[in-house]
Amino acid sequence: MNGLNLGLNLFWALGGTGLVAGLLGSALGVGGGVLIVPILTLAFHLPIHVALGSSLVAIVANSCTAAGIYTSARLTNVKLGLLLETTAIPGAIISGLAVAVIAPSILTALFGLTLLYVSYTMVMRRQLMSENVLSADDSVAPDNNTNSLSSSLASSYYDQNLGKVVTYKVSRVPVGLGAGFFAGFLSSLLGIGSGIIKVPVMNLVMGLPMKATIATSTFMIAITTTAGALIYHYHGYIYPFIVAPLVIGVVIGAILGVELTKRARGILLRRIFGGFLFLVALLMFLKTANVI
Amino acid sequence: MENRKFDESRLSNWVSLGFKLGVAVALPLIVIGLIILFSLSDAKDIQPLLRLDQIPSAIVISVGILILLLTPIIQVIVSIVLFSKTRNRLFISISVAVFCLAAVSLVLALV
Repeated sequence: MNGLNLGLNLFWALGGTGLVAGLLGSALGVGGGVLIVPILTLAFHLPIHVALGSSLVAIVANSCTAAGIYTSARLTNVKLGLLLETTAIPGAIISGLAVAVIAPSILTALFGLTLLYVSYTMVMRRQLMSENVLSADDSVAPDNNTNSLSSSLASSYYDQNLGKVVTYKVSRVPVGLGAGFFAGFLSSLLGIGSGIIKVPVMNLVMGLPMKATIATSTFMIAITTTAGALIYHYHGYIYPFIVAPLVIGVVIGAILGVELTKRARGILLRRIFGGFLFLVALLMFLKTANVI
Repeated sequence: MENRKFDESRLSNWVSLGFKLGVAVALPLIVIGLIILFSLSDAKDIQPLLRLDQIPSAIVISVGILILLLTPIIQVIVSIVLFSKTRNRLFISISVAVFCLAAVSLVLALV
């Protein structure tokens, strides 16, 4: 870390990194950490642990900004988010404490593998998610198998695009809890929000519509990454002068990302970003092998 | 049913407001800290040991980052309060559990 000078150039570069990460993270529902960590390690040559810690703080900023917007639009299932956090936070704390004893090369390689997975989901899958719209009215369909927890978690929101109220039920909560722990574990281990875990599980397994899924995932990411970031601070991996421009860029990018979502074709954005992540994954593996 | 929708609406309002306020307070502090760094400090090196003239900016930025990190935890507290008002014991328990778990990481960070 000695000799890293936060001149104006580096300040703008860090801010620009945060801007792009926040923009893509908001527009695609994933991408904050998977972009920030490689750039900080490959371009700025920061130690991986510092990059992970910085990424987590930036993700907190991104997700808080987005969560404020989504929750005011009534998209967030706060109850479900809190329930799944009961397992996500322990996962984040465990891996956050363990990360200090994991070799940087191993973390870099694991991150590369994660990028390959994210790249695959963005490029190859045609129908990644489903809408899971159950009914257009504001009453939940009666279900003989519904227990009190599932009925407590059922919710609805007004979809502006569809012009109607969307009602949904939540099922397979134990699967969600298990996935929550895994997502929390990955979050602190790799400095990501783990939306790549939470979003598919909540949408495809638990039955949430896509908009409610992204909104609830964002709410959860804010809490999970906070726990992880605080553990990284405990280890001494949070540098205020690196985090500051990153956070500013991320917040601006997150707000702009909402506008980008409205205007751009999501599938095209996903494929371009997925291809870019594939290249970055290769670079991370080369770094692990000390080739670069 | 109408009561439940009202409760969820109120929960969403307060949680949303909390997130927006947290970012609105934290971000200006971080910006001010950077302004102090670039205007008052001679050197801009990022090192584990700060120069004396960098300490004021580091303090301001760190307070901003801390407020940012506390924002989601405060939303959990808000949820506890609102669930208590509606006497929703299940989600009071869940929210308290989430707060306690988050508090573990907070205590470690402050130690």
